[in-house]
Amino acid sequence: MIPLGDILLYASLVLSVIALLGLLLKDIKNIEYLNKLVTPAIILIAGILTFAYSLLTYYFVTGDFAYDYVWQYSSSDLPLVYKLSGTWAGQPGTYLLWVWVIYLSAAWLAWTTKHSTALSRRTQMITLFTGIYLLILTLIQTPFKLIIERPEVVEMITKGTLAADFVPLDGNGLNALLVNFWMIVHPPLMFIGYATMTIPFAAAIVYLLTKADGWEELGRQWTRFTWLFLGMGIAVGGVWAYVILGWGGFWAWDPVETASFIPWLTLTGFMHAAALHRKDKSTFSIAAPMLAVVSFVLVLYAAIVVRSGLFNSVHAFGDNSTGTLLIILIAITAIVSIVLGMRRYLEETDKVEEDHGFWNKTNIFYVTLLLFVILAFISFWGISFPAFIQITQGLKVGVASDTKNFFNVWSYPFTIILLLALGFCLNYNEKKKEEQKKTLFIVIGLSIITMFLRTDTFYVLDHNSPFWAREPAIYKMIGNISVVSLFPSMIYATWATAQRLLDYLSIKSIRPKIKGIGIATVHFGTILILFGAVISSNFTQSIEGYSIPLSSKGEVVSLGQGGYAVKIIDFSTRSLAETAPAPGIRISEIYGNPDSYINNNVKVTGKIVDFQNVQTPPSYTTYMKIDDGTGSLWVATQADEPLNIENGMELTMEGFMMTNFRSNSTGKTYDLIIFTSPEAITEAATSGKYNVQSVQLEVYKDNSMIGSGTAEYLDSQSGSGTFPLIDSSITGTDVYVIFQGLSGESVPLTLKIIPAVNFAWLGIVFFAIGIILIMAVRSRPKEG
Amino acid sequence: MRTKKMLSIIVMILILSFAYFSYTTALSNFTLSDQNNSYLGGIQFHRAASGLEESFQIAQQENKPIMMYFWAIWCQYCAKFQTDTLGNPQVKKILEEDYVLVAMDLDIDREVAQKYGVSYPPYLVFMDPKGKVLERVPGAVGPEYLLPIVTQVRETVRGK
Repeated sequence: MIPLGDILLYASLVLSVIALLGLLLKDIKNIEYLNKLVTPAIILIAGILTFAYSLLTYYFVTGDFAYDYVWQYSSSDLPLVYKLSGTWAGQPGTYLLWVWVIYLSAAWLAWTTKHSTALSRRTQMITLFTGIYLLILTLIQTPFKLIIERPEVVEMITKGTLAADFVPLDGNGLNALLVNFWMIVHPPLMFIGYATMTIPFAAAIVYLLTKADGWEELGRQWTRFTWLFLGMGIAVGGVWAYVILGWGGFWAWDPVETASFIPWLTLTGFMHAAALHRKDKSTFSIAAPMLAVVSFVLVLYAAIVVRSGLFNSVHAFGDNSTGTLLIILIAITAIVSIVLGMRRYLEETDKVEEDHGFWNKTNIFYVTLLLFVILAFISFWGISFPAFIQITQGLKVGVASDTKNFFNVWSYPFTIILLLALGFCLNYNEKKKEEQKKTLFIVIGLSIITMFLRTDTFYVLDHNSPFWAREPAIYKMIGNISVVSLFPSMIYATWATAQRLLDYLSIKSIRPKIKGIGIATVHFGTILILFGAVISSNFTQSIEGYSIPLSSKGEVVSLGQGGYAVKIIDFSTRSLAETAPAPGIRISEIYGNPDSYINNNVKVTGKIVDFQNVQTPPSYTTYMKIDDGTGSLWVATQADEPLNIENGMELTMEGFMMTNFRSNSTGKTYDLIIFTSPEAITEAATSGKYNVQSVQLEVYKDNSMIGSGTAEYLDSQSGSGTFPLIDSSITGTDVYVIFQGLSGESVPLTLKIIPAVNFAWLGIVFFAIGIILIMAVRSRPKEG
Repeated sequence: MRTKKMLSIIVMILILSFAYFSYTTALSNFTLSDQNNSYLGGIQFHRAASGLEESFQIAQQENKPIMMYFWAIWCQYCAKFQTDTLGNPQVKKILEEDYVLVAMDLDIDREVAQKYGVSYPPYLVFMDPKGKVLERVPGAVGPEYLLPIVTQVRETVRGK
């Protein structure tokens, strides 16, 4: 039998194909009759998929382990919120989320446009095509697969060791690293961002095909939405890495974080191109749609990197079998967009334009676009070519002695140029151009001079790192640049943004004012993030691997270096799970109403308080007295050998209940007794699967307290995770203590003092506020 | 138009030469292979799950503890951990002389990782020759933290 969830997916697939046909017939032959069905069909699919996702959520919440995916990523002792987030813990669920959001946006498109224009119709066609493709992927790796379809389970069923309708009692549980608040929000942000990129992409393809006007407007809010969600997804990933993955890094150029950063960069480029394109349709008429299309292709690429086996990284939480199909989709979209882009380019070169010289707004904006492309390419190349070499030559290569050096070295110079462009563009004024050029040249000069400043540690690459000596000459050359050189351009950019903000504030009309404040906020955000990232990664102090005996609780223990000391206030352990109700019926309930249980099947859970193994040839009978806290009850079972049990064991058992049973072997009469078979007895989980050790600490520097809080270590069957103590101060510095789990009787700690890191988080908040302000001001649709 | 075209061409050349340069540099300078163990702290490890059985046999014959090291090529912290901690002369000496060492690539030896409950690198699992886990060290700890553990585990196994 096909599970209900899969039926819903098949239904959506069929309806999508009908809707796509309807649109095609209307577009090519102007046939109306199917077209009328299109809008309701698409809205219906969105509804069906909403139901499908709710169904999956329901399975997780109720712990229906008949479904393989639920079994893999959940267990009954998880708190509710983690059961909910289990739905997107693995690939099948994230595909479903992706498809669902694509169809929600398709429904929005259908509802708002009713497919009245060729542009909206064709955009919908491409959206549907993408939707159908991903629906097929979802069906291949369906989250509704039954556990009895698992190969090893199939084998056991054919051997007869498992029943054909086998349902595990409990799930596998969630990876300990995923048991975290940030994990709950990170994947949905990412995948919603991936999905909402579909409409801007589809509109851009239509524009490349037909030069349809209004494409940018159609996708504008979706682009901003994607930018916000992808950006926040990446940021939350950073927070997650900072607060749990444990060693104080919010950005490690891990292939997967880098992969999702790449489309965000090109998307940022697209938004800049679109800003000029919407004012003059001939500006960036190829660059803008191409950047939108490329961003979508890179989103697909990121999806591959996240879950494929090749770029394994921190994200290797799930296995993959649909990677090839994603690669085919990438190939299709990439080839189509390159061909379309080339065609448009060849058409447009006929136009002869006036040349205004280099220093005009369009050209500087174009430089900005190219910088985004260059930065995106550096990241793309850095994660891709090692994988390429591994596939083609079977060799593992690194991109540098220390991976992050590659990205830092190559990105650094372009980041400075980007800040310079930011400063120049934001403050651009045709009349004051000469003066502004002069300022720019001064800043460039200062940047170059400061590159040669010599300091102790403040370089692009860390000279004290063991990798420094092994880097090739050009890495050393750039690595030798003083990071002080970032400040002239940073100050310049800040000043320009502030100037621009003042201009916006003086505008009377409210809409452009709010939008302007939004733009300035986003750019301030960029500067804050760069500042926080550079300072924190260069000036973090770290005292590693100190072990403090538990017996010194309450005393201030010096860490020996830099005047730092730590005091353990308290140590405790707990189980993360909510106490799940024991399976079966309370024994008191049976005694309260024995008639409804006698001569029926009854399931109880409790501790053995007394037992007797008696020989009843040819087998043994075991009598166990089970106590569940509400009362006690005898249970009997027969087996070939005496049961291997002891008092205190907690068991769940199911069997037939009898009354007034007289046993010859024990000589007793039992008022109530359950007869069960050894197979129906299982060990009940006595303790939670997720055990947390937490240590409450105070951190001192030169005898004054600089931070306090709790550092935790989570141990579970599926791995362990560290939750450091993080105490932020008003200056933006974090006191960061990692506790790596009790070792013997001592507490191993690593202390870090991380300056300025909170500026980066503040910058991310600025990003979000800024883009929401921009989104809030919907530009009025232009007449005609 | 002409300016933009020129800029595009310059950037194109820049990108291509960067791509070519970094590709060849990586191949000539940063190739990691089984012959040079420099990226695993310069220590010779038994490699991969296939070597696990053999390692247990050796450990039982010589009554040595086993240290299993879970790493990954993309792991930033592993690199530092390998040079600073595993590569520390004192730690390295004890490991090489008194231990049976097995390295597990998290990308390849996933089943082993799952079996031992390891979900991120670097991660060390110390076992007695029979495979009983004696100690776990998650994360990139420093040599001063690892040294006592390495010594203690060795003494425990010898004491038996």
